[in-house]
Amino acid sequence: MIWDALKLSLLIVSAATIIVGVSGLAFAYLLAKFDFKGKELLDAVLTMPLVLPPTVTGYYLIILLGRNGIIGGFIYEFTGWTIVFTWQGAVIAATVVSLPLMIKAARASIESVNPNYEIASYTLGKSKIETFLRITLPLAKRGIFAGLVLSFARALGEFGATLMIAGNIPGKTQTMPLAIYEAVASGDDRRAQMLALILTAISIAAVYFTNKISRSRIYG
Amino acid sequence: MLTVNLKKQFKNKKTAEFLLDVSFEVSSGITVLMGASGAGKTTILRLIAGILTPDEGSINLDSTTFFDSAKNINLSIQERNVGFVFQDYALFPHLTAKQNIAYGIKDKSLKNEKAREMLALFHIEHISERTPNKMSGGEQQRVALARALASNPKIVLLDEPLSAVDVETRTKLLDEIEEARKRTNIPFIYVTHNEKEAERLERNRVILQNGRILK
Repeated sequence: MIWDALKLSLLIVSAATIIVGVSGLAFAYLLAKFDFKGKELLDAVLTMPLVLPPTVTGYYLIILLGRNGIIGGFIYEFTGWTIVFTWQGAVIAATVVSLPLMIKAARASIESVNPNYEIASYTLGKSKIETFLRITLPLAKRGIFAGLVLSFARALGEFGATLMIAGNIPGKTQTMPLAIYEAVASGDDRRAQMLALILTAISIAAVYFTNKISRSRIYG
Repeated sequence: MLTVNLKKQFKNKKTAEFLLDVSFEVSSGITVLMGASGAGKTTILRLIAGILTPDEGSINLDSTTFFDSAKNINLSIQERNVGFVFQDYALFPHLTAKQNIAYGIKDKSLKNEKAREMLALFHIEHISERTPNKMSGGEQQRVALARALASNPKIVLLDEPLSAVDVETRTKLLDEIEEARKRTNIPFIYVTHNEKEAERLERNRVILQNGRILK
C-alpha cells in the first residue's frame, strides 16, 4: 500500500514537473519579454492556484474538464473517456497548482539577465531562439532550477485539487498525501507515520537542493 | 558610406518629451559623435543598429538600406551586420574570451582559426580561456572589440567604450581602435563626451545637442 502510493506519487509528480518545466518556461519567457494586451490578466489567472484554496482550484478543474465540463464535455463526446478519477487527472491537478511557482521563479530570473547580452547576441547575427538557448537560458538557469524544484515539492504535497478531480482510489489515484489522510482516518498510525516520514525526507531533500543551487556560484 | 536621416519622438511620463531629429553622413574612418549626456548619442547608435526603430526617415549603408519609412523597409538587427561595442561591454559572462569572440563568426569551420587570429591581434591570447569576471577592464574592452570585429561587420558602433578604464589604458586602447579601423577599412562611429578622446581620434566630428546636430 505504501509503495503503491509512493510509486503513484512519483509517476504523477514526474509527469507534472516535466509539463510545468516546459510550459512554465514558455509562459515565463512570454511574460518577461513581451508586452501584449491582457498580459496582467494572464499573469493573474496563472497565479490564481497559488492563492486559491486547492479545493476551489479542483472545483474549477471539474467545471472545465469534467464529463459535462466545457472542455471535458467535448472529450467525452468524441472518445467516451473522461479525465475525472484517473491518474492523468491527478497530473493536471498537480501541474496547475505548481505552475505558478515555476513561472514566478523563472520569470524573475529571465528578467534579471542584462538585456544588453541579448541585444549583443542579436547584433552578432543570432536569432531570438538561439539567443534564448545560448545566452538567456544558461544565465537564468539558477532561478529556473529553483522554480522547478519548488514546483516538484508543491506537486508532491498536492491534496485538495487532486481529491476533487482524481478522487482517492488506492492504487489508481491515491497519492501519498491522500494515503496519509486515509491512514489517519482509519486509525492506521504506523502507515501514516511511514508515509509522513518519506514525504518529509523528500521535501527536505528538495529544499536543501534548492538552497544549494541558489547559493552556488555559476561562473569562476 | 553611411547616411542617416531620421526623426524619433520619445514620450515618457517621467521625463519631458524629446525629439531626435538628425541627418548626417559618415564615410570610412572614425567619426566621433559628441554631446552631453542626454543629447541622444546612444539612441542614434541604437537606431542605426536596429535596436530601436525611427518614426520616419532613412538609414543607408553603401548600397544597403537599413531603414526607409517611405519604402517600408526595416531590416532586423541580425540582418544589418553591425559591430556594436557596448558601454558595459556586455560580454557573455558564462563564456570565455575565446568563446565570446567566436560567438558571432558565421563560418563554423573558420571559428577556431578566426578567434585565435583576433586574440593575437589584440594581444590577449593569455586570457583566451578566462571568463569576463577574471579580466581587467582593458582586457574586457579588447575582447568586446575583438568580438564585434570577428563577425566581419560593415560598420562598427562604439558606445563610450572607454568610460570605465583608466587614463593610461585609454590611450593605448585608442591607438588599438585606430589600428583596427585602418585594417578593416570600414566606418567606425565613436560616441563619447570626453573631449580628450575626441581630440585623439579626431577625424570627423558630429556634435549633438538636445537631439539635434550642432556641427
